[in-house]
Amino acid sequence: MIGLERVSRRWREFAIQDITLEVKEGQYLVVVGPTGAGKTLLLELLLGIHHPDSGRVFIGGSDVTGLPPERRGIGMVYQDYLLFPHLNVEQNLSFGLRYRRWLGERIRKKIDETARLLRIEHLLHRYPYTLSGGEKQRVAIGRALAAEPRVLLLDEPFSALDRGTAHRLRGEVQSLHREKRLTIVHVTHDLAEARQMGDSIALINEGKLNARGTPEELLRCPPTLFAANFAGAPNLYKGCVEESGGAIRVVAGPIVAAPAPGNGGMPHVLVLPDEVTLLPGLAAPGTNLLRGEVTGLRDEGNYVSVFVRVEELAEPLTVHTSRQSVRTQALGLGALVTADVRKAIHVLWD
Amino acid sequence: MTGPDGDIDAPGRPARGAEAGAATPHLRGYARFSAFTCLLVLFPFFIVFLLLGLYAIAGVVLAAGVVGALAARRRRPKSDRPLIVFSAIGGLLVLFIILPILNLLFTTDPARIVAMARDASVRDALALTLSAAGIATLISLLLGIPLGYVLAREEFAGKPVVEGIVDMPVVIPHTIAGIALLFIFGRAGIVGAPLKSAFHVLLSDSYWGIVLAMLFVGVPFIVNHSRDGFLKVDPRMENVARSLGASRLGAFFRVTVPLTWRALLSGAIMTWARAISEFGSVAVIAYYPKTINTLLFEWYNFFGYAYTKPLAALLLLVALAIFVTLRAVAGLKRADHDRA
Repeated sequence: MIGLERVSRRWREFAIQDITLEVKEGQYLVVVGPTGAGKTLLLELLLGIHHPDSGRVFIGGSDVTGLPPERRGIGMVYQDYLLFPHLNVEQNLSFGLRYRRWLGERIRKKIDETARLLRIEHLLHRYPYTLSGGEKQRVAIGRALAAEPRVLLLDEPFSALDRGTAHRLRGEVQSLHREKRLTIVHVTHDLAEARQMGDSIALINEGKLNARGTPEELLRCPPTLFAANFAGAPNLYKGCVEESGGAIRVVAGPIVAAPAPGNGGMPHVLVLPDEVTLLPGLAAPGTNLLRGEVTGLRDEGNYVSVFVRVEELAEPLTVHTSRQSVRTQALGLGALVTADVRKAIHVLWD
Repeated sequence: MTGPDGDIDAPGRPARGAEAGAATPHLRGYARFSAFTCLLVLFPFFIVFLLLGLYAIAGVVLAAGVVGALAARRRRPKSDRPLIVFSAIGGLLVLFIILPILNLLFTTDPARIVAMARDASVRDALALTLSAAGIATLISLLLGIPLGYVLAREEFAGKPVVEGIVDMPVVIPHTIAGIALLFIFGRAGIVGAPLKSAFHVLLSDSYWGIVLAMLFVGVPFIVNHSRDGFLKVDPRMENVARSLGASRLGAFFRVTVPLTWRALLSGAIMTWARAISEFGSVAVIAYYPKTINTLLFEWYNFFGYAYTKPLAALLLLVALAIFVTLRAVAGLKRADHDRA
């Protein structure tokens, strides 16, 4: 529906490098990345404020690289609302409608509909400076939606709001997305927000697309080292490459991994905490059967994190397990266990 | 060129400009027409004059009061003494500015000021000055606002150089600027000569020469004021306007200008005030027709300062009226404009 094809753009201290990204009709894509990764620049490339140094921008199958923002039909909402301070809420909402050559009555209807949708009917005659942050952001979203954009871009839309307001507004934007089948590209540095909002997440680092996938894919099993680090994934161990008997393998302490496709650099071994099986007692030694001692338990609500100290492993291994198995296996502090990590190992490269 | 006459500028303004400009076309009827409009515009100012005396006296009392209050406050810790000394010095400076002004205003017989305002040569010179300054201001708006916008929005190599050039008329002595302008726009100048042969337009000793000189000294104010005004409008606000369908120019006129009109207006008033008070470069380029400052300079030379006093007082009133208008404009606050 909207997409970038091998787009690069350097602007001031920001850069986008060779990014190809596609958002499907009705999809909610969240672009996540640390501050300064070029996320806003990415949005402004889609919007047309920036012209790519190379590459092309597509909307609905046609090349819009050369089109100015006013002819792209894209709505933009910034973190700090940027309502037009000299216009009241109603005039803000109708700003874009003037360019549609509609009859007055139709404009009127559109404003009423938008105001109802965002529950700002009572604010129509107020000026922006009299509004609270949440109200301003509703108006800003309404202003963008009133113009019936093909795509809505949100640049850190909830970051300036207090927790409660942000939470409420997130929910509302989500239901707007579902009801109106809106195509949304939402930029944030907040991974929790990305997980909650997006059907798809694109992870950006230093101007490059690092990873792309559903929240489930990206968070359960981070495909890149950066994704693992950004998501704060536990059980990330530095490893090294070894050769034994003609076979190459990656070794991190007692963990041995099959040679995975990599692009050189340092290998890291990631053990997915959901995929580890805990066996009571010390089992017979075997490859990737890690024997250790429980040093901590933490109730996470739906599951329990069990921390197991394993010899030769730099950090305790984190294992997610159910409350039930904690009870039945009598997993307490000091219990000796064997962690079967055979199905939980991923190799990530620097 | 900073005789007692050249400078009836508002107190505390950075004085001195010089001139630059643009060749301007050949419309003489305009002079009379705009002289008339300028006089019309000026009428409301006379109402303000009454308040001015009060304003000035209040200023002196305030300055003296601040100094006195600070000095009298024994409770202040010793460490605050420098502050008290600074205040006393500051008070002196304030007095230095306001005393001559008040003296001129209040020791001149009002009847003579009125008589002066009725004098035909004074009225002609005043009308000429106000209208030429008005036209110079209009031209400076047309030329200065685009540059102010570019300077506010774009980064480019040599931008500091351009900004420096824009400020040059403020620091160049104006007589020098006048002479420099003559070499370009005078009857033998590279622009002046073709203008003369093609259109019979002469810039030296003409109305348009005066406009040219005034434009040169006034232009920095409109460029800098508009640039500062545009800088206060977030460019992303224009992005939003464009995402909603406005073209770049549409966003400029529907969003940026409504949010900066006060800066633009105060820039225009500053330019106009600077143009009215200009003497040095005007006298070099066009001694005739006589502007009000040229007239005052001439009278001062021929008849001495006592004779010139009522005229000086009259000009002072005009300048103060402009100054008060400027402050009023700058102080205008519509809450919805100032808070985002």
